[in-house]
Amino acid sequence: MNGEKPGIDRRHLLKGSLALGLASFLTPRGLSANDSSTATLPFERGRRPLIAFPQKRPLMVMTTRPPQLETPFHIFNEDIFTPNDAFFVRWHLANIPQTIDVNTFRLTIRGRVNQTLSLSLQELQTQFDQVEIAAVCQCAGNSRGFFQPRVPGGQWGNGAMGNANWKGIRLRDLLHRAGIETDAVQVRFDGLDQPVAQATPDFRKSLSLEDALHEEVLVAHSMNGEALPMLNGFPLRLVVPGWYATYWVKMLADIEVLNQADQNFWTTRAYRLPADPCHCMKPGEDLTDTVPIGKMPVRSFITNMEDGRSIPGGAPYTIKGIAFDQGYGIDRVLFSVDGGQQWQSARLGKDFGDFSFRLWEAPFTPEPGKTYSLQSLAINRIGESQRFSARWNPSGYLRNVVETVKIHAT
Amino acid sequence: MIRVWIFLLLLIGATDFAWGLPADGGSREQVSILHLPSDPISFQPGPGSDLANRYCLICHSAEYVYMQPPHSREQWMEIVNKMQTTFGCPISDEDMAPLSDYLVTQNSLQPSPSAPPVQSDEQKKEIAGRSPNHSGDPLKGESLYKRHCLTCHGPGGKGDGPIGQALIPPAANLTLLGKQSDKTVLETLRNGRPGTAMPSWKNDLNALELNHLLSFLRTLTP
Ligand code: HEC
Ligand code: HEC
Repeated sequence: MNGEKPGIDRRHLLKGSLALGLASFLTPRGLSANDSSTATLPFERGRRPLIAFPQKRPLMVMTTRPPQLETPFHIFNEDIFTPNDAFFVRWHLANIPQTIDVNTFRLTIRGRVNQTLSLSLQELQTQFDQVEIAAVCQCAGNSRGFFQPRVPGGQWGNGAMGNANWKGIRLRDLLHRAGIETDAVQVRFDGLDQPVAQATPDFRKSLSLEDALHEEVLVAHSMNGEALPMLNGFPLRLVVPGWYATYWVKMLADIEVLNQADQNFWTTRAYRLPADPCHCMKPGEDLTDTVPIGKMPVRSFITNMEDGRSIPGGAPYTIKGIAFDQGYGIDRVLFSVDGGQQWQSARLGKDFGDFSFRLWEAPFTPEPGKTYSLQSLAINRIGESQRFSARWNPSGYLRNVVETVKIHAT
Repeated sequence: MIRVWIFLLLLIGATDFAWGLPADGGSREQVSILHLPSDPISFQPGPGSDLANRYCLICHSAEYVYMQPPHSREQWMEIVNKMQTTFGCPISDEDMAPLSDYLVTQNSLQPSPSAPPVQSDEQKKEIAGRSPNHSGDPLKGESLYKRHCLTCHGPGGKGDGPIGQALIPPAANLTLLGKQSDKTVLETLRNGRPGTAMPSWKNDLNALELNHLLSFLRTLTP
């Protein structure tokens, strides 16, 4: 996790030198035909090339078309806010617009509204309150590669997540400007990405009207003070703090207010959990009742020690990590060096809001010659804690087991 | 695997902050262009690779197949079937079997400990909803308790484990279970208490183990 830093500087492609009307042709630095840098996730077939896509530093490539890129884990130890050029990328459909004209782009709000709106980016930026929120964006399939037995789907390690400061317009301000009809029940979101084959269902997601009207739900245009990278949804993406990223529709262009439940494939058939309260089942059991995935259970990670590492004993260390949940906020993080037999309270870092990563740290002095199982356990403000045993479900969702980092002191 | 990719990011008149208004208030041409790399790998030659090349590179790169954990032939059949019926892959029914054979040669399931565990008869009974009889061994229950429950409920079951009192609600005092029926306690163990830290154990412990635990819990009650 805390491996070498990437040999490539962070580049700000949107910044600086791009003068008016000037076309810049950029090739990623440090990458050539004989650059074979890879990273390996700790599961079978976990080898990933590290490649820089446009506006990105080298990230772990899970798939190229459509792009699915994972953030190398050591980056979570560098800053509480995940840099834009290191933020994970996940598209479902390969037909992603190659060009966005920011002058002609329009966001449409239609359906069961009094008045259809078609808003330019300029209107969005000048006619509505601009609000900012720190929030974790985590792929529903984050950590799927760790499921045992393994399950099909994107084989992510723990890096399909990131924390950013999102800035934009409240979704509810847009809906209220359009005027919601009394029979409205859901709101459906569609981005500019399209399927390659006509027969493939277009990627769209819906929220209940009640959830859509929550004040923290944003149509964001910026991320950590910069425009969204193309691969993270330029020029607009939905931000649904506390909810899994499948709802955070990228390149958002169409908002449709519905007066009946959305029947589209991605809402009704994909992203489903076993309906029982644990959202888990036994491998081999039939999945009958399902519910849509929604908010994220509480998680924590150690970010400055990777599994299997040897460190010199006898010296004091500070173990560091992150914790987050669905927006109740982190109440405490406990830390154990003996695989969960004894726990001590970790010190929490600055509070950037209930939806953000929360940093934590704890002192640790390993004795030479001993082996340790480091664990962290986050508890949120309503007393929900991480699980002690991993849940299993056939789509590999909702992992929030207490993770173990084994280290040896020399 | 040779990769000679050229990525171009072409931004005409892109501004520092997003598509923010130009300072002079005038309009300018602002277009963001994204050039994505082409596929880095293709399907390895072999019997059936022609089918994979024909059908499985339409919508996504071959990495979709190679990143998967090893799957059995049945699982590959299922995936190909999903591609056809759900996503509209134009593969004919006759081609599905030979293509699955090829996929198995590329990425197949070796018999390994990661194969789904076979359910014991006891578990099947449990799933069928029959109530287990109270036939546990308290000693086995105690060792399970130490492993799974002690952190929260504490050595004597009083709810005073290392994190027991840090939870909201706190871990329950299990010496007070006297009035609860076996059925009720097993219910709690199986399903946990949603909304509290008490986990559901039905996926981690089988019916026999739950019975052992129950027998041990009974020894805590005066
Ligand atoms: C018509 C488009 C299309 C074709 C053709 C297609 N797929 Fe897919 N495939 C998809 C889509 C869409 C997904 C899901 C993407 C996502 O959720 O990221 C997918 C996902 C997958 C996955 C990931 C596991 C899963 O279940 O999501 C595998 C493996 C896969 N495809 C294999 C294949 C194979 C093998 C073929 C050739 C028979 C094939 N695909 C042909 C559209 C297609
Ligand atoms: C992560 C902490 C945690 C772990 C681990 C845990 N429990 Fe609990 N347990 C709780 C909490 C918290 C409650 C109280 C729930 C409530 O008040 O509704 C509880 C309640 C119970 C109850 C119900 C008590 C009552 O008064 O109704 C039983 C029985 C129980 N636990 C048994 C177990 C057993 C057996 C294990 C191990 C297999 C276990 N628990 C593991 C936290 C835990």
